[in-house]
Amino acid sequence: MKKLNFSPVLTGEKEALLRTEVRSFLRDYGSFNVSNIIDSWSICDPELSRALAAKGWLGMTWPTEYGGGGRSYLERYVVIEELLAAGAPVGAHWVADRQSGPLLLRFGTEEQRQYFLPKIIQGECFFAIGMSEPNSGSDLASIKTRAEKVDGGWLINGSKIWTSWAHVCHQMITLCRTAPPSDNRHAGMSQLIVNLDHEGITVRPIITLAGEAHFNEIFFDDVFVPDNRLIGQVNEGWSQVVAELAFERSGPERFLSSYQLLEASIKELREANVTQQAEPIIGQFVARLMVLRQMSLSVANQLQEGKLPINEASVVKDLGTSFEQELPEAMRLILATEPRSTANGGVARLLSDSILKAPSFSLRGGTREILRGIIARGLGLR
Amino acid sequence: MNELAQLIEESATRLFEDFSNGNGHELMEAGQFPEKLWADFLADGWLTTLLSEDDGGSGLGLAGGCVLMRLAGYHTVPLPVVESLIAVYLAAKSGVEHTEELLVPVVLSEPINGQSDIALLGVPWARHATSLLVVFPSDNETRVSILSCQDVTITSGQNMAGEPRDDVIFNQDQLNKSQQLHGITIQQIDSWLALSRAAQMTGALQHVLEMTVDFANERSQFGRQIGKFQAVQQQMAVLAEMTSASICAVDAAIDHLETEQEWELIACAKITVGESAGYAAKTAHAVHAAIGFTQEYPLQLSTRRLWSWRDECGNEAQWSAKLGQHCFDLKTDNLWSWLTTQTG
Repeated sequence: MKKLNFSPVLTGEKEALLRTEVRSFLRDYGSFNVSNIIDSWSICDPELSRALAAKGWLGMTWPTEYGGGGRSYLERYVVIEELLAAGAPVGAHWVADRQSGPLLLRFGTEEQRQYFLPKIIQGECFFAIGMSEPNSGSDLASIKTRAEKVDGGWLINGSKIWTSWAHVCHQMITLCRTAPPSDNRHAGMSQLIVNLDHEGITVRPIITLAGEAHFNEIFFDDVFVPDNRLIGQVNEGWSQVVAELAFERSGPERFLSSYQLLEASIKELREANVTQQAEPIIGQFVARLMVLRQMSLSVANQLQEGKLPINEASVVKDLGTSFEQELPEAMRLILATEPRSTANGGVARLLSDSILKAPSFSLRGGTREILRGIIARGLGLR
Repeated sequence: MNELAQLIEESATRLFEDFSNGNGHELMEAGQFPEKLWADFLADGWLTTLLSEDDGGSGLGLAGGCVLMRLAGYHTVPLPVVESLIAVYLAAKSGVEHTEELLVPVVLSEPINGQSDIALLGVPWARHATSLLVVFPSDNETRVSILSCQDVTITSGQNMAGEPRDDVIFNQDQLNKSQQLHGITIQQIDSWLALSRAAQMTGALQHVLEMTVDFANERSQFGRQIGKFQAVQQQMAVLAEMTSASICAVDAAIDHLETEQEWELIACAKITVGESAGYAAKTAHAVHAAIGFTQEYPLQLSTRRLWSWRDECGNEAQWSAKLGQHCFDLKTDNLWSWLTTQTG
């Protein structure tokens, strides 16, 4: 049994200064160009992304030789948690900044880094995640999309689904089968960077139950990808994907998706002067939030130290998404307000948005059951 | 802190492992004091763990004390580890001469105002103590009075783990002779006791997790180890999650000792640990099934403690209400700026 490590970390003066800077940026930026602020990291606003790029807040931890900020994971943490807490629609650059760039830094070629990283950092190149397929959800190793070796590159056929913002993004890191399935289910897959403008690609929108159009299904019909767009090693895609997960699963977005509702509820109850009954519930959720934040900061610090705390990241995501899903369930009972999907509906609108979006919180990036399976393996049960 | 924790861990583990070979639990649950274990505990010098070197201690402070308390919780040590360490610390802070006689803390939250009797319920280990260290508020200061247990009425009681939790009656008159405790508030002492209990609980949680994983890997049913069943794995994963959250919460609270946010982080810790205790006990017993429900099997030593300790020094509802009220009272009108001041 490998002990889970969440050694606490204290942020310092540097982080505090940066925090002030982000808050003043947000004050000056004014209101966001969106109608709702729940789950703001799945909302896309390229204009905001470019404004953040201008501040140097994209690719913050990446080496300066590629235009990155050369800053620490804790500094990046401060910036992204401030943006999320303010409900900033950071979805456009989110994937590129969180995982595609780090993946390229870890496994990409020098040419790929020099070509893509500066574009990401400038807010000019957004990445989508090409993992799930119509018949491969949690069982990612069962993907069918094929990349066939041809002269000078690869020919992709198949489809990907649940691809957020594929219609806005420029590139997609696409997990493909490059060798037929064998006894080792995790062998024979590779990651290719696909330009989404390419001929042979069809993007079909899928509307969510909350009425949003960020999902897509993507079809590949003989899409040619040159050799220099293969990431890392041929047939080693699985281990690269797994490495990505420590970045994908541990950040503050895994417990702040419905945070706006907590703040608004406290304000609403305080103004109505009916706080006493709500105190134990608010206290309980605030305690959970405080501890989740400590755990998530600890993982960020471990990433800084070059570790890949995959089990810890799974813990943060499972506990975090439970928190952000249970929050609207608890707030509706103490607010005693009927949720409203009307524009400008105040706390009733936040309730509505949180409830409608909540199912996705624990599905994206690995379901609850998958995460617990990973943790059980770490315990030595599998 | 990590090096320090390791040092404490190595030497205390040896002692506490020895303890579990004896009959300490039986003695304690029969109402007696495990004198031999206590003598060994004193002989190793643990009583003064929290004291500064000037006060004749090891200078490890409450942070170091929590490491020891966690281990005591892990090994279900049948001694007043938390109580004696905190009492000795408060005694030293108020200039009371340190002895090796057992002193346990009693906290009064209201000022004394007359000559009536004070009745306190569930004072840990009172019947075995030589004296009570009574702390009480008076005119914006904290005062300490040492009461000999011969001068108070003690009625024996015990918590679900069989630990002494005695009812105590004395008269306010008896507190006439008291010293000021400089720079320490009643609220702080309450929260230190809660943190100490929470630290003990993280030890118990870790032990429950380890016992349950081992059992699930050994016990076979339907032709395979029960740990191979997904239904079991999913519950055990949550058990591990909640245990690690509890440890992180207590560690974070320890890191914030002697800061302005001390009690708030301690509240978060006691809430987190309290919530985890119920889930851990429930899950561990579900996995162990009937054997875990017996007195003979050691799981009950940890789970009965968890069930007791979660309600001692404030349960999760009490600390949540206090924390919730604090959130409503925030002057900043903004939860987020408060949350992020916690860690600088």
